[in-house]
Amino acid sequence: MVQINLPKNSEIQKGKYYQDKTGSKNIRKVNIYRWDPSSGENPRIDTYEVDMDNCPSKVLDLLNKIKNEIDPSIAYRRSCAHGVCGSCAMNMDGKNGLACTKPHKEIKGDINIYPLPHLKVQKDLIGDLSTLYKQYQSVEPWLKISKKDENKENLQSIEDRSKLDGLYECIMCACCSTSCPSYWWNGDKYLGPAVLLQAYRWIIDSRDEDRKERLKKVADELKLYRCHTIMNCTNACPKGLNPAKAIASIKKMLATG
Amino acid sequence: MKNNNPLSPHIQIYSWHISSLVSISHRVTGIINIIIVTLICLWVALLLFGNTNYDLIQKFFETFFGKFFIVGTVWSFSFQVLSEIRHLFWDLGYGFEIKTSNISGLMVIFGSIVLTILILMRNIIL
Repeated sequence: MVQINLPKNSEIQKGKYYQDKTGSKNIRKVNIYRWDPSSGENPRIDTYEVDMDNCPSKVLDLLNKIKNEIDPSIAYRRSCAHGVCGSCAMNMDGKNGLACTKPHKEIKGDINIYPLPHLKVQKDLIGDLSTLYKQYQSVEPWLKISKKDENKENLQSIEDRSKLDGLYECIMCACCSTSCPSYWWNGDKYLGPAVLLQAYRWIIDSRDEDRKERLKKVADELKLYRCHTIMNCTNACPKGLNPAKAIASIKKMLATG
Repeated sequence: MKNNNPLSPHIQIYSWHISSLVSISHRVTGIINIIIVTLICLWVALLLFGNTNYDLIQKFFETFFGKFFIVGTVWSFSFQVLSEIRHLFWDLGYGFEIKTSNISGLMVIFGSIVLTILILMRNIIL
């Protein structure tokens, strides 16, 4: 269901203001979405003044700096810091991306940081992705093959292998799915760009023997065809992949048989 | 168990892209077009009941709102047609690169304005 306004318990309030204590002349304001499950209060936006002279280049560095030096209570996911794990996906400056690969120099004005859009917040910048993971499980993302000769390699031509380029690189950070308005309104039924790209990755794999079943499973008014080519997913992908094109390829395969 | 955690902000904070703007406009113009076609059908039906009705419609089109209605209709249909052509290319599997889709989106936006002007000019001249 399309619901433009946030529910009552999600309305954002004004939060605390952390003034700079270093006396630096190169200050930027960082607004961060905060919600503490133990407080029983509504979410708020806290503002931090950060000394940019002593801050490395990425948004994740900025968050680490705030957590280490200003406010240790702030919660966010991060792991590899090299754009490989997908943990630090969040909404920065109105766009989804990985905090570890997004330079804060690219953001003009105050830096606004929110959790990934339209998720149940667990704490601060951490959103609940369990629905997405269940949907991922539903496309059975593993190779289905009948022959089990363990002494022989399962060969794939260079041409067939190249069909997986632009698909296998997906790190399931959920930047695309949570940028998609269709997924916002129908996230419980529509699979969303991330999962559909994964579905296509297995549909197009020449070694997989379950293509017909996979296509049949995904061919659904809600699961697949809620994609209206809004293209927010492709614009959001921090790995430069093209989920919109993958979804269109599934549609095309279904249409042409 | 019901999850009472807050929902993170979505459309309130997400920045607009050319593609999302054209997409929502495609929907809005689609709905407007259905209403307009219905109205046109009603007017045609009204004409069956005599020429006084024709005068009434004529008068409406002479008002400022009537003229706005004509321009709006022409633009709405122009936009829908151009955007639909873009969708047809997508359905064939072309034009998904960010750059291409941005260019085609801009072509739809500016093209619809140019088309509106051309159609209206043609009507004024003839």
